[in-house]
Amino acid sequence: MSEQMAFARKASGLVRGLSFWDAFGVGFMNQGLTPSMWVMISFGLGVYTGGNLIIGTLLSAILCGIGFSLVWGILGGSMPRSGGEYIYNSRIIHPVIGIAESFGNAFVWIMWIFVLAPWTIDPGLTMMFQFLGLEAAADVVQTPIAVFLISSVVSLIALLFVVFGLKVFATVQKVIMILGILGCTVILLVFTFTSHNEFVQDWNNLAVQYGSLDYESFLSTARTTIEEAGDVLPTTWNWFDSFGVMVAGSWLFAYAYCITFIAGEVKRPDKTIILANLFAVLVPAFFMLWLAIVLYNSVGFEFLSATAWVDNMGEGLAGYTFPWPTHFVGLAAVIVPTNTIVLFMMALSFILFNLWWVALSYLAFPRILFAWGMDRMGPKWFSDIDYKYASPVKNHILCFILGEIGIFLFAFFGDPMGSLSITGMEIVSVFGITAIAAAIFPFSKRARRIWESSPYRGWKILNIPVVTIGAIVNLIYLGILFYFFFFMAEMGEQELVTGSLILYAVIWGLGIIWYFYWKNRNKQVGVDVSMTFGELPPD
Amino acid sequence: MNKAVKIFFVTDIHGSNLCYRKYLNALKVYNVDVGILLGDLTGKVLIPLVEKAGGGWETTLMGTHVDIPNQEELDKLKKTVEMMGYYWVHQTPEEFREFKADPIKVDSLFKQLMMSRLKEWIALADERLAGTSYKVYMAPGNDDHFEVDQIIEDSKVIVNCNNKNVMLDDHEMITFCWANPTPWNTPREKPDEELEPMLEELVSTVRDKSNAIFNFHAPPYGFALDLAPELTKDLVQAADRKIHVGSRAVARMIEKYQPLIGLHGHIHESRGAQKIKKTLIINPGSEYSEGILKGAMIVLEKGKVKDYIFTSG
Repeated sequence: MSEQMAFARKASGLVRGLSFWDAFGVGFMNQGLTPSMWVMISFGLGVYTGGNLIIGTLLSAILCGIGFSLVWGILGGSMPRSGGEYIYNSRIIHPVIGIAESFGNAFVWIMWIFVLAPWTIDPGLTMMFQFLGLEAAADVVQTPIAVFLISSVVSLIALLFVVFGLKVFATVQKVIMILGILGCTVILLVFTFTSHNEFVQDWNNLAVQYGSLDYESFLSTARTTIEEAGDVLPTTWNWFDSFGVMVAGSWLFAYAYCITFIAGEVKRPDKTIILANLFAVLVPAFFMLWLAIVLYNSVGFEFLSATAWVDNMGEGLAGYTFPWPTHFVGLAAVIVPTNTIVLFMMALSFILFNLWWVALSYLAFPRILFAWGMDRMGPKWFSDIDYKYASPVKNHILCFILGEIGIFLFAFFGDPMGSLSITGMEIVSVFGITAIAAAIFPFSKRARRIWESSPYRGWKILNIPVVTIGAIVNLIYLGILFYFFFFMAEMGEQELVTGSLILYAVIWGLGIIWYFYWKNRNKQVGVDVSMTFGELPPD
Repeated sequence: MNKAVKIFFVTDIHGSNLCYRKYLNALKVYNVDVGILLGDLTGKVLIPLVEKAGGGWETTLMGTHVDIPNQEELDKLKKTVEMMGYYWVHQTPEEFREFKADPIKVDSLFKQLMMSRLKEWIALADERLAGTSYKVYMAPGNDDHFEVDQIIEDSKVIVNCNNKNVMLDDHEMITFCWANPTPWNTPREKPDEELEPMLEELVSTVRDKSNAIFNFHAPPYGFALDLAPELTKDLVQAADRKIHVGSRAVARMIEKYQPLIGLHGHIHESRGAQKIKKTLIINPGSEYSEGILKGAMIVLEKGKVKDYIFTSG
């Protein structure tokens, strides 16, 4: 070990609070392991039935491991503040872009609350009750009033995990993460120790018990139904569908960026943020690869695609009468239908990861508003910190109220946008704009001083800044997602895509109006807010 | 109509040359009437640039061993070190070992370099601000040695406002650089029981307290501006828990006299503003080691804080 060549005197100073594990935890938990696996299989493979989960996972892990880690790691390490990508985009591109994009993302975080809190019930709680034979309870929790009430409780619990400060949050996060990973590992082990013949036998035994389709009948019925719907159930994988699977797979690989909302509080941000981002991609990739391999081994490629298609359609398949749907956790339940503890742990894993997604909305949204408040891009109370809990309590309460409005609409009027539309908005607005900011970071006059003091300014390959290379890789990944989401009708109804684009444009427009309103208002009292976005010249 | 005064308030730049130069320029860029730069003014780290046998130099920066092959790289590194608020010194391997074995020598060198940089700062301000209309105030903080006061006093344009009552247009401003005890045993710290009478004496000089500025380096205990991560006995992070570390004496002064505004620093991570009864308290925070000048621009009218905004430049 080399000798320390520095002298330090005793003096007070800034101490950052969160460790690598805390930062990794935030990134990893926002990848939502078990529910994201469900999304990748049921929403991804369910649409692109010829997709290869192994190829989709490997491509996503490589592109996100390089792209997202470098973009969000380098921006976060260069500007270690907790206001999210608003800080980077407003400083590197322009404040009006920063606020418009951030406005969109604040809305997205609220959307996550009203989409994901109900997911805790269906498929979460519903799956648990179905596995445990409590079918009446499973039916009750799916009624609109139950969805509203239970989702509200979920949202309140999530709020309570965050509002009391980061110590409580970090402690609970560790517990949720351990239990969630444990439950997911149980699912993986169930498949790992089940051969194809055993799975077929287990399926057929259960089919006899419930008077349902046996393995071969299910496959042939699904094949016919898919053909009637104008599609074909492929017998082997193809490249096009494997790329298509990556859109829904983005839930598992593109969301570690949430670390940005605690960037101002992590120790050694130059190393921690980038490494936490990288590992929050690699760990889910490991689990997803494991799952894909064991699913193909035990369930079989064609049967898995058929079950994913059926689960995605949501209307079941004629003759299929198992008490639970055909998602991948349901397939694991087929193997262990009487092991209550295992069934409970598998469903709990889904519920816990889902619950924590809601909690992370309460982490992100108030911090976005806090950053606006600090720049006077909103009322002063946006930047109020409660001195008892050391957190922006007023922003948390606003987040809860907005989430409740969304949950009410979701429960009684249905999901107006479709869950995937959120991903669509994020691809362009949050990830796309921030990747562009990262690409031009080393060349931006506006952010010249920040770049010069960045610990990554010397990181170059073939004389090209690594952050720019990372941004290009990131944009390639986002380009694939963008193509499949916006141009392939299969990903969702066309009106969903159009609706998503209109909503996204309206929110951006509101963001721009918001910027000019606050700029003008501050000018009237003698403060030019545009000064707060630029670097001061030293000479 | 009330006349408004626009103040740019900065604190805790800890020897950062870049932040100081930005501060001097900020008065013009932000178009303010008054500049207030409070302590801590001096840096905390000394980087020895140790000669290598085969040529070049080596050192440790931010925990990383750095080899410096040539003069060009050395000049770049010196600028970075100064930007971060650190000091540098050329040393032979023998000198480095000698210093490492003798903390008193290190202290003495630290003091010499701190005062030298501060003198350079004052000279730069005298040169840049001469003939301008800005009122510029400066005072030390708890981390600054007592020699700092005289160096500020020697300035032609900067007023050392430490422990004084000065007028900012219609507002009286009192400044207090001491802090309650820290884990680092810094030069200007005392228990709250000893700080309180000192503060009372200073506050007694203020005629119109409701219109006054209390410029106290330590933030009041128990509010949003004094939250810092809990430390172990070894001064490393204990947990993710944030605790209040401000001064109870300062809190009592603010609650008792309710001035117009309280300007504070000391806790770099607790940038923020909060209302305590009638008083707005502000801590602009500090990220000096990244070369970022954090500040607060405040618009005051008689009896009223018209507005404020945090800056980061």
